[in-house]
Amino acid sequence: MKSRYLFSHKFKPFGWILFSVGIVLGIILLVNDFKFPNWKMNVFSLIGSDDTFSSTKSFTWELNNVSDEIASILIIVGGILVSFSKTKEEDEYISKIRMESLIWATYVNYIVLLFAIIFVFDISFFNVMIFNMFTILFFFIIRFHFMLYKTKRLISNEE
Amino acid sequence: MKNNLKVERAKLNLTQAKLAEMIGVSRQTINAMELNKYVPSTVLALKISKIFQKNVNEIFFLENKD
Repeated sequence: MKSRYLFSHKFKPFGWILFSVGIVLGIILLVNDFKFPNWKMNVFSLIGSDDTFSSTKSFTWELNNVSDEIASILIIVGGILVSFSKTKEEDEYISKIRMESLIWATYVNYIVLLFAIIFVFDISFFNVMIFNMFTILFFFIIRFHFMLYKTKRLISNEE
Repeated sequence: MKNNLKVERAKLNLTQAKLAEMIGVSRQTINAMELNKYVPSTVLALKISKIFQKNVNEIFFLENKD
């Protein structure tokens, strides 16, 4: 079956590697309050801001710890590859499971966010937003692979 | 929708895996259809009818609730 918008199956292991490295780096950063590892690099800042949190100018080169940027990119690119690479036998039934899981993940993601909007404030809410950048991929990956596992287990019960 | 896939498969002495391979789908798909958990596309139904050499409506049936 022709599936649009999906990557070839061979990207999946590569995605898992990027995704796991990103998560490990992200956890290390979280534990160390985003101060370690400290990989300073000159970065081009498109939009600056001048307030209590930071003072950067627009359209200038700035020194910045890029470890959090690297962790985010790894998690997002890895997560997309894991989520949207074809399974070994991608067919119409698996596409249906995929689509339902995506709808489910979107609902869960925004239910969690709505809950946080109502009950979490200030810097804590900022932390929620950091997680929320990635949770939709997390929820999808967990739900999709769980459903695939369930249908596979159903087969082994059959015979 | 119901189907007698399992019966037809037994007549030809085909396993789920073999039938899946013949029509180019995963085993999960055959299994889900037999358990009436999945309604196949027209293309898939026609491929199945070709294997069993029967009309589609001799393999798949509408139920009252459909």
